[in-house]
Amino acid sequence: MRIGIVCPYSFDVPGGVQNHVMDLAEALIGLGHEVSVLAPADEDSALPPYVVSAGRAVPLPYNGSVARIAFGPVSTARVRRWITRGDFDVLHVHEPLTPSLSMLAVLSARGPVVATFHTAMTRSRVLSAAQGALQILLERITARIAVSALARKVQVEHMDGGAVEIPNGVTVAKFAGAEPLPGWPGECAPGTDGTIGFLGRFTETRKGFPILREAFVELARERPGLRLLVAGPGDPDDLFDPFPAELRDQVTFLGLVSEPDKARMLRSVHLYVAPNTGGESFGMILTEALAAGTTVVASDLDAFRRVLDGGRAGRLFPTGDPLALRAALAELLDDPDQRAALTACGDQVVAHFDWPVVARRVLEVYAAAIEATDGRVIDQEWVGLG
Amino acid sequence: MPGMWWVVGAVVVVGLVATYLIWTAGRVERLQARAESAARALEAHLLRRAAAAAVLAEQRYGVEPYGAARIALDAVPEEREAAENDLTRQLRSVQLDPADPACEAVIAASRRLALARQVHTDLVRDARAARGRPLVRLLRMGHRHPWPRYFDIDDPTLAAPADVTTG
Repeated sequence: MRIGIVCPYSFDVPGGVQNHVMDLAEALIGLGHEVSVLAPADEDSALPPYVVSAGRAVPLPYNGSVARIAFGPVSTARVRRWITRGDFDVLHVHEPLTPSLSMLAVLSARGPVVATFHTAMTRSRVLSAAQGALQILLERITARIAVSALARKVQVEHMDGGAVEIPNGVTVAKFAGAEPLPGWPGECAPGTDGTIGFLGRFTETRKGFPILREAFVELARERPGLRLLVAGPGDPDDLFDPFPAELRDQVTFLGLVSEPDKARMLRSVHLYVAPNTGGESFGMILTEALAAGTTVVASDLDAFRRVLDGGRAGRLFPTGDPLALRAALAELLDDPDQRAALTACGDQVVAHFDWPVVARRVLEVYAAAIEATDGRVIDQEWVGLG
Repeated sequence: MPGMWWVVGAVVVVGLVATYLIWTAGRVERLQARAESAARALEAHLLRRAAAAAVLAEQRYGVEPYGAARIALDAVPEEREAAENDLTRQLRSVQLDPADPACEAVIAASRRLALARQVHTDLVRDARAARGRPLVRLLRMGHRHPWPRYFDIDDPTLAAPADVTTG
C-alpha cells in the first residue's frame, strides 16, 4: 500500500507526535508498505530517507503553547505537489485541527483520509469561532483514530463523531535489548539494598516526585544500600536540596536523557516508580518500563490501571499516598518472585503495544477508510494483515 | 452612469450565489456518495462475519451460533439489526481461541466489521447534517438519493487487543 503521512510539527524539535510518526512510518515500512512522511524541517537538517521536507517551520503561539508549524500559500502548494506526486492509497494526517500541514493536507485531499488525534484537546478558540469551517474540515476525514481513551472521549463529546482507540506503540526490542548503565542495578538483597528509578520533570507537582521522595527517605533509613536513579529536565539543586544531607549520596541524577539512554536507564533499576497524581492520558513511560523488563510501581490512575492490566502487570498504590508507596516498595524489593511474576505479565501486556502490532491495527483502519471511499472490501493479504 | 454599477453589482452577487450553490451541491453529492460507499462496505463486512461464523459453528459449536449466523445472512432489512446483534451475543457466549485459524477468522472479521460500522456511522452523520441544512432542503439538493440511514448495532468487537486477559 502507498501511504502518505503528514506530521504537523517540525522534526527539528523532539516531541511525542514526531516520535509517534517516525515509529509508525518505520513499522509500516517494516511490514512492506511504501511510506512517505511530509513534515516541516529546516533545509540543512538530517532527515530519515522517507521524510519529505515541507520547508521551514515558524514558531507560532497556539492554544497556550508555542508550536513550530508551517502554514500559508507556499506550504499549500508544497502539500498539493506532494499529494499529487505521491499517488497515495491513503493519506494519514496527525493533529489535523491545528492550523498546520495536516490541516492543509486534509483540505487538499480527494481520496480516503485517516486522522489521528493525540492530545485531548477540546475545540480550540480559533475553530469554535468557526463551527462551519470545522465541519468542512471534519467531513473530509474518513476515519479517526484517538491514541488514548481521553482523546477519544473528546472526539465523541466535542467533535460529534466516533474514533477508534489505538494506543501509542513502543519499540519493544529497543528497550528489551538496552545495556544497563555500568554498576547498575546492583544487588537487591532483602532488607538492605535495591534501586529505584524515576523519569520526568521532578519539579512538576502532577508528576508526583515529592511522594516518591518521602517514601524513599523513610525507606532509606531502614535500607542502607537503597539507591534512587532520577532522569529528567531540571536543576540538580531543586532535586537534591529537599533530601536530608546524609541521604544525598544515595541519589543519582542523570539530567535530561536521550532516547537510547532512557532505555538504558530503565534497564538499570529494580523498580520503576510512576507516582503521578493526575493529568496522564496514556502512560507511555509505563509501557517503556515494561518493555525494558523492569517492575513497575504506579499510582492508581485510570490510565495507569489500564496499561498495567488492573495491577497484574505492575503494582498499583493509592494515588498520592507515600506510606502505601513505601510499603509497596519494601515488599517488592524483598520479594524477587513477585517481581518476576509482575514482569512476566508485563511482557504479555507490552506485546500488545509493540509497534508492528499497533501498525497492523492502524492498517486495518486504513483498509476501512479505503473501503468506505470506493465501497469495495479489501482482502487481508492485500492490506498486509494476513 | 449609476445604473451601470448597479448592473455590475447584481452580476457579481449572482455570480457569488451561483458559485456557493454549485459548491454546496457538489458537497452534498460527495457526502451522499461516500455514505453509500460506506454502506456497501459495511454490508460486505456483515456478510463476511456471518459467513465466517457459520463455518466455525458448523465445525465446532453446534446449532445455536449456526442458526444465528444463518438468520443474519437471510434477514430482511427490517430485522437485520436485531439479527446481527443476536449473532454478536452468540459469538460472545462461546470461548474463541485466537490460536485456532477458524476462530481467528471470526475475531478478525468482527474487528473489521467494528471499524466499518464506526466509519459508516460517522459518514452517515456527515451526510445527514449536510442534507438537513435549510438551503439544501429548499432547493431539494440530493433528493434523487434516499435519505442516509444509520445501521444501529452494538459494537461487534469480540476480544479487544487492549483487554489483556488472554494470558
